[in-house]
Amino acid sequence: MSAVSTTPTGADRYGAGRMQLTRSFVTVIFSTVVLLVACLVFAPSSVSWGALSGSLPFAAIIAIVGLGQLLVVQQGGFDLSLPGAVSLAVVVSTHYPQQNDGLLYQAVLLALAFNLAIGILNGVLVSLFRLNSIIATIGTNALLYATVFAMSGGVPSVTTGLLANIAGGETFGLPNAVYFALGATALVSFMLKKTVAGRRFEAIGASPAAGEAAGLRVRSYQMMAYVYAQLFYCLAGVLIAGITREPTAFQGDSLLLPSVAVVVLGGTSLLGGRGFPISTVLAAFFLNQLSQFALSVGVPYSAQTIIQALALGFGIGVYSLRWSGKVRKTT
Amino acid sequence: MNYANLKKGLAVSVATAVIALGGAGLAKAETPSWCGPKKATLALLDGYGGNSWRQVTTASGKQTVELCPSITKYEYADGQGDTQKAISDIKGMAAKGVDALVVFGDAGPAMLPAITSVFKSGKIIVPYRVAVGGKEGVNYSKFIGSSFENDGVTWGKWIKGVLPKGGNVLFISGPAGNSQGLDELKGLKSVLGPEYVFVNQAPFAVTNWDPALTQKVLTAEIAKNAKIDVIVSDFGPSLVGALPTFTKQGKSIPALATSDGNSLGCFWQDNNASNPDFKLFTVATGNDNVRLAVQWAVALATGGEKPKEQIFEAPAYEDSVSGKPNAVQCRKDLPGAIYMSSALKPEDQAKAVGQ
Repeated sequence: MSAVSTTPTGADRYGAGRMQLTRSFVTVIFSTVVLLVACLVFAPSSVSWGALSGSLPFAAIIAIVGLGQLLVVQQGGFDLSLPGAVSLAVVVSTHYPQQNDGLLYQAVLLALAFNLAIGILNGVLVSLFRLNSIIATIGTNALLYATVFAMSGGVPSVTTGLLANIAGGETFGLPNAVYFALGATALVSFMLKKTVAGRRFEAIGASPAAGEAAGLRVRSYQMMAYVYAQLFYCLAGVLIAGITREPTAFQGDSLLLPSVAVVVLGGTSLLGGRGFPISTVLAAFFLNQLSQFALSVGVPYSAQTIIQALALGFGIGVYSLRWSGKVRKTT
Repeated sequence: MNYANLKKGLAVSVATAVIALGGAGLAKAETPSWCGPKKATLALLDGYGGNSWRQVTTASGKQTVELCPSITKYEYADGQGDTQKAISDIKGMAAKGVDALVVFGDAGPAMLPAITSVFKSGKIIVPYRVAVGGKEGVNYSKFIGSSFENDGVTWGKWIKGVLPKGGNVLFISGPAGNSQGLDELKGLKSVLGPEYVFVNQAPFAVTNWDPALTQKVLTAEIAKNAKIDVIVSDFGPSLVGALPTFTKQGKSIPALATSDGNSLGCFWQDNNASNPDFKLFTVATGNDNVRLAVQWAVALATGGEKPKEQIFEAPAYEDSVSGKPNAVQCRKDLPGAIYMSSALKPEDQAKAVGQ
């Protein structure tokens, strides 16, 4: 990350905007291809169609939470309320309808309302009260888990048949969750890159002071990052509820680290600024395939963890390598 | 003669009535043998009370206590997964003057110092299910463990019955290295010979008992192994979301040896027709472990007769092949997260889990 801050970002921004997007994209693609080749050589079963269709929904989930985290990271923040937010969406969409399809849409709306409220709370705490985002979102995460316990008592509930079909089903041979992830990616890419609001959002992330000097409403843009992020967590939660059929009340816990990992792997600076939604989503596929690879190699659990760590290091290493090459070229 | 007969008849009927009445009186006042005459108070201390299994267990414990009129007061505390709180709960209960404590020591040996100090102060303390280390009579009054090895043996015997010629076994358990999974494996290996090949990495496929991770693990294992004949899992309900992966990959769900749960039973009923290899065998999930622990605590505190069992052995519960001891159970009108094997009535369990 230090590489990011020492690079003359201003120069990049003027001259090499397209180059930069290509670079992060190419890096992730390169890492993914290397991984896929490794899969073909060492664990061919992990790239069989059956294995892919089984694991793609989980890649889609990581991609969706990654997109939410991306927006917050772009504003130089961190959203640690993700586990609570996803778990709450899971709990609301399973406990409220109690396996009654007719109540599903109400449950989803209710989940959305909860998540929006928390998003606004996060946004107000960080942008208006200037609280550190990590502190503020840890607090709201506790609040979210309190709600999770109040609603469920920590007890899992079986999802409705309709939701299981929507989230866990397949259309044209692809898991439905993948379509949701693709839709979310298209939406974020378009909004960020092709709309005035999106361009301002990125500019404010790069330099809030400059944004303020330009007369932009910096605080409201920062606040909205947390609100939009919650929408994605809500979507992810509802999808998990459908995919796993009998989710636990703490299903969001295991998603926090991957959400940050894919944002970093996707090439977005933790200091804020430019975001790379497509690379983030590809990184989600990379990360998920990596764990499938480790599972399929058939080595002890300790070795699985080491393989994952090494491959993650490799992914980030490739990125840094290309980055320093670029710096040499420009200087 | 007639009069004598009448007298005899009268005498017999009076005697019968007396016996019947006496019997009824006895039945009414019947207390279990483990419930002695001495008055005492009892507390149930949970390390973590936040899931349906624990809620059913807690309700079972309470029901057992209520069978003994000598227990004048019953209290409950939930450590909420916080070891510090669980320790202070134990010490707090003892300080309040509770005579007998039954403890689910989730944190394991970390709980031992608190348990020992309470025992040394002269209280009856019975940890159960999770091993806390220490010795009976030195650190606590009695430890009521659960024989997970016995579960493994029970599963192994069933597998031998349905796959007499051997086959590929996939064994999945919770977090890496958890002692429950290792004990179960010991039991399985004691029954199954080399003709049964464990296709998972040793000692078991790690799932953390998380349904999402279980689904990923199963996906990888199905793709890797062309043939899985039987799955062994120590938490059946977590498989409900994962088993359809077989259907998605164009295979029949294989035989399954696991622990029971309402959602799993219903899943079997919905899917066994379209999956010819899907045979289901379950052992009771062990909510009743707490009953034995409470019985011991009450017996020691009230001067009752000590129960014969020293360790809880989960009985076989459902078998879709023989229908013995039970056919597969499903109550669609009740929540999925209850356990039909528990001695607590299903309706009461639904109440306990708040649905």
